[in-house]
Amino acid sequence: MEWQPLAADPAAGSGYFDAYAAIGLLAVIGVLFVTVAFTANRLLRPVVNTPEKLLAYECGVDPVGEGWAHTQIRYYVYAFLYVIFAVDAIYLFPWATVFAAAGFGAATLVEMFVFIGFLAVGLLYAWKKGVLEWT
Amino acid sequence: MTTTHDLGQPLMTPLAVADPGGLIQSVDWVAIAPPLIAALAALAVLVADLFLPEARKRLLGWLSAAGLLAALAMLLPLVLGDTRSTFCFKSGGCSYTADHFALAFQLLALGGALLTVLLSLHTVEDEKLPGGEYWFLLLSSACGAALLPAARDLATLVIALEVATLPAFALVALRRDGRGAESALKFFLSSVTATAVMLLGVSFVYAAAGTIQLQGIADGLAHAPGQLKPLAEAGAVLTLVGFAFKTAAVPFHFWVPDTYVGAPLPVAGYLSVVGKAAGLSGLALVTTVAFRPYGHTWGLVLAVLAALTMTVGNAAALRQRADTPYGAVRLLAWSSVGQAGYLLVPLAAAGYADSADPLGATVAYALIYGLVNLGAFGVVALVGGTGRLESFRGLASRNRWAAFALAFFLLCLAGLPPGVVGLFGKVVVFRAAVDAGLGWLAVVMAVNVVIALAYYLKWTALLFAPSTSADVAVPRVPASLTAALGLAASGAVVLSVAPQLVLQVVSGSLF
Repeated sequence: MEWQPLAADPAAGSGYFDAYAAIGLLAVIGVLFVTVAFTANRLLRPVVNTPEKLLAYECGVDPVGEGWAHTQIRYYVYAFLYVIFAVDAIYLFPWATVFAAAGFGAATLVEMFVFIGFLAVGLLYAWKKGVLEWT
Repeated sequence: MTTTHDLGQPLMTPLAVADPGGLIQSVDWVAIAPPLIAALAALAVLVADLFLPEARKRLLGWLSAAGLLAALAMLLPLVLGDTRSTFCFKSGGCSYTADHFALAFQLLALGGALLTVLLSLHTVEDEKLPGGEYWFLLLSSACGAALLPAARDLATLVIALEVATLPAFALVALRRDGRGAESALKFFLSSVTATAVMLLGVSFVYAAAGTIQLQGIADGLAHAPGQLKPLAEAGAVLTLVGFAFKTAAVPFHFWVPDTYVGAPLPVAGYLSVVGKAAGLSGLALVTTVAFRPYGHTWGLVLAVLAALTMTVGNAAALRQRADTPYGAVRLLAWSSVGQAGYLLVPLAAAGYADSADPLGATVAYALIYGLVNLGAFGVVALVGGTGRLESFRGLASRNRWAAFALAFFLLCLAGLPPGVVGLFGKVVVFRAAVDAGLGWLAVVMAVNVVIALAYYLKWTALLFAPSTSADVAVPRVPASLTAALGLAASGAVVLSVAPQLVLQVVSGSLF
């Protein structure tokens, strides 16, 4: 089995940057598409303003209140708790594909449970501090 | 990177290896015991806090002290036995090595944390700090600081440094008043900037050297292709800047005084000793091990940084007035900046001498400085109030032992007899500079030691000056604070009588 880097050695020549040509092309096409679509729209449409049309659009309903709204601080704690599980999942999935393979052994299995144990302590802390109760 | 398989075949790394368990690194539990026990104690304190009733929360502090004592005890078999390494790679090189350098700094980190715990016991109660969180954060930070000097690759190094500093932000803010929040924010922003800069540098170094192992980087940089030289040099400089921030070397020192003033006093002492030691040990590892091929370049940079740091720190400490609020803490903060300058001198000398020998002077001086500086913070915590220097006037007539202890700590910091150990520490640092041919730096340091005498002696004289105001009754000193001060003072006295106890690290081999 031969390993070969996808891009050439950056020190060796221009092959590395050539690999980005497709991305550059896509960016150019994207900018062109938006410019053409908006310009064509502006040229083709009739302009007849009424007060209703100038109103800020909010899901088909008349706008209520001001644009500045406060967010509950507890959303932030929930975001934190979400991160616990997100990080958990990020590490669990790659681990799940290999832990049974030869060469890893019981230590790999135990290590993941140690990791989950740490996260569980975080959750226990949040629970005992009453963060999980909404009201 | 990907394989050159035909489409349709699974892109798999070759996982099946001949020997089962061969992909798992073996762990030497004895070698990693000191930081590991600190981490476990942190976890135990956090969980115990959840289930202990309010009246029993005092136990948490003593639990933390016991954990740190156990971690310190685990240093003993490592000191007596051979150098142990663990988390080794098959290609050679290990990520964790408990050599003499690592053990000395672990002693400083864990011992400093233990003194801080003793100093904090009554602060946590008096200022109504959240107990479980305070001890948890302190132990986590100590764990990171103990892990750092043993780290032998850049990833472990950066993670250990962050484990040491991240809890410190929260510790600074724990007083939860405006001043604490401002200090913590200042500390957080400057520290995070430093980390970002350092990570950029680390990635450059990795790109140029092709490895993150410190020893491997030294070999890689020596044989790096010419095109990658500028990248490697830029990476080295950025990495050094990151560590200079954590060490609070001038011009990256501006967060120090404000952070110390806003933090609870024991935390300020902790930052000035353990936080600084963490940055310093990282700096020493990166320079003397990884960037050895560039020795003369960073030797000069560190020499200039050291000269600037001690001059600016001492000049600012000299300018502290006796009646400004928090003057005592500000003076200690600026003096700690000045002391960081002395600590950098042997590092610069190591660059010039092209060997790690001068580092012994840094280790010895850091141990001495850590002990007496925490002691000085302890007495300031004992006097309390708004911490004006003026409130120390006539302390000798109110609390004789506290005054004697503070006077002794200040004389050690200044390097005057009877604080013999401070004097010896300075001599060792001088010798490192002179031996490496850094005569000009030795002269700058001598001038700075004289400048520092002025403010240390002025404060000492204030302790024994006649009291002007009708004094209030002396508050009873809590037992834990007495224990901490007694420990620091007796340690300093013992070292003054027998300085060879700490100075032997200068002559022995560190790595």
